[in-house]
Amino acid sequence: MEFKKHVRIRKEKFGMVIFETLKEKVFVTNPTGAEIIERLKDKKTPDTIITELASQYGADAAVIADDVNCFINNLVRQEVLAK
Amino acid sequence: MEPTKNFNTTPGMAGESFDDFKAPLFLAWQINSVCNLGCLHCCEEAGHHIPGEMTRDQIFNFLHQVREMGIPYVAISGGEPLLHPDFFEVAEFIQEAGISLKVETNGEFIDDRTVERFAALDFRSVQISLDGATSATHEVLRLKGNWGKSHAAVRKLVKKGVTTEIVFVPTSFNIHEVGPAIDMAYNLGCYGFYTGKIMRIGRAALNWDKLNPTEEQYKACFKILDEKTKQYKDKMKVYYYPYDVIEELKYRLQKPSASLLVIPNGNTKLIGPLPFICGNVKEQPLGEVWERYKKAWREPRVIEFTKRVIKDPNLLAESNKWQNIFETRSETCSA
Ligand code: SF4
Repeated sequence: MEFKKHVRIRKEKFGMVIFETLKEKVFVTNPTGAEIIERLKDKKTPDTIITELASQYGADAAVIADDVNCFINNLVRQEVLAK
Repeated sequence: MEPTKNFNTTPGMAGESFDDFKAPLFLAWQINSVCNLGCLHCCEEAGHHIPGEMTRDQIFNFLHQVREMGIPYVAISGGEPLLHPDFFEVAEFIQEAGISLKVETNGEFIDDRTVERFAALDFRSVQISLDGATSATHEVLRLKGNWGKSHAAVRKLVKKGVTTEIVFVPTSFNIHEVGPAIDMAYNLGCYGFYTGKIMRIGRAALNWDKLNPTEEQYKACFKILDEKTKQYKDKMKVYYYPYDVIEELKYRLQKPSASLLVIPNGNTKLIGPLPFICGNVKEQPLGEVWERYKKAWREPRVIEFTKRVIKDPNLLAESNKWQNIFETRSETCSA
């Protein structure tokens, strides 16, 4: 999975800002979204991201999986991330 | 530019206001004021050099700060940016910094070599002003303009795979050609076609009575734009901004954008239609200019003047009579 060519990402105090500069659309995320985006930038798979976040937060992987998959699908639907 | 969508958050979260951002999201940079044309509707009153234009050293000092601040998207315009002696070095710097770059040009200096260089730089897009589907319509507005050159530039750029967009400013002279102009953009293979109501600033304000389309003309134009948007859905982006500059000012007063507008002498304007300068990138670090910008939108002087402009659009003619918000002296644009 990778971010589309014209997408630019920047860390902010509140989380992350994602700018699809070709379509001129701006998206923002909270710190959890930022954690997922950092890992996507590092080319980690959704499974790896789920495992890492589950261990980092001591949470149930199944619950984390729902959130991560929903978040990633949203990025794909908004055409900022290519599968 | 502002956030349009929050992922997995609730409304009111940080990132919805320009104040939340550590740096601008967008930089509109008028690199020069020189232009080969003298368009009747030019917002910048471009043509000649203005005093105090940034030197090469000042430009690259500024660009290093743009990169360090992480500004993701820059649009370079002028004047005519291709007449700037450092244009390609600037474009290369921006590209190498990983910043998305859009170049706004009148398209008259795009020969085969320029097309090659643009293609190699592979930036976001080149936006070319074409105000008609015919030379007669385009050239009546763009004094000394050559429709054939701009049209050929679009063709060559598209052929080389450069993302190319056309900008069309509707006036009473050309608004009847908006439909054919969109078809032309599509037939040329453009990525997008952009238009919106003419802004009553700069030379457009001086020529307002001649240029401003009637309400009926706008109504017919927006109907065509709606139809063309549907016709070219998923084929070409037809984008139009339906609000005029007064509606824009009302909105910006509530919600300033996370962007900076830097003019050729380094002055940083709050927004094109207002005369206010919040800093100068030659004199202050860019981070400080950004903080000044945020503060400036809350200054009573700015709020009061903007409300006066909203009531009396004739005041838009003052947009190039610069006033430095944080100093008492005022400056006048001599472009
Ligand atoms: S509108 Fe553009 S091309 Fe025309 S005079 Fe102004 S800067 Fe030059």
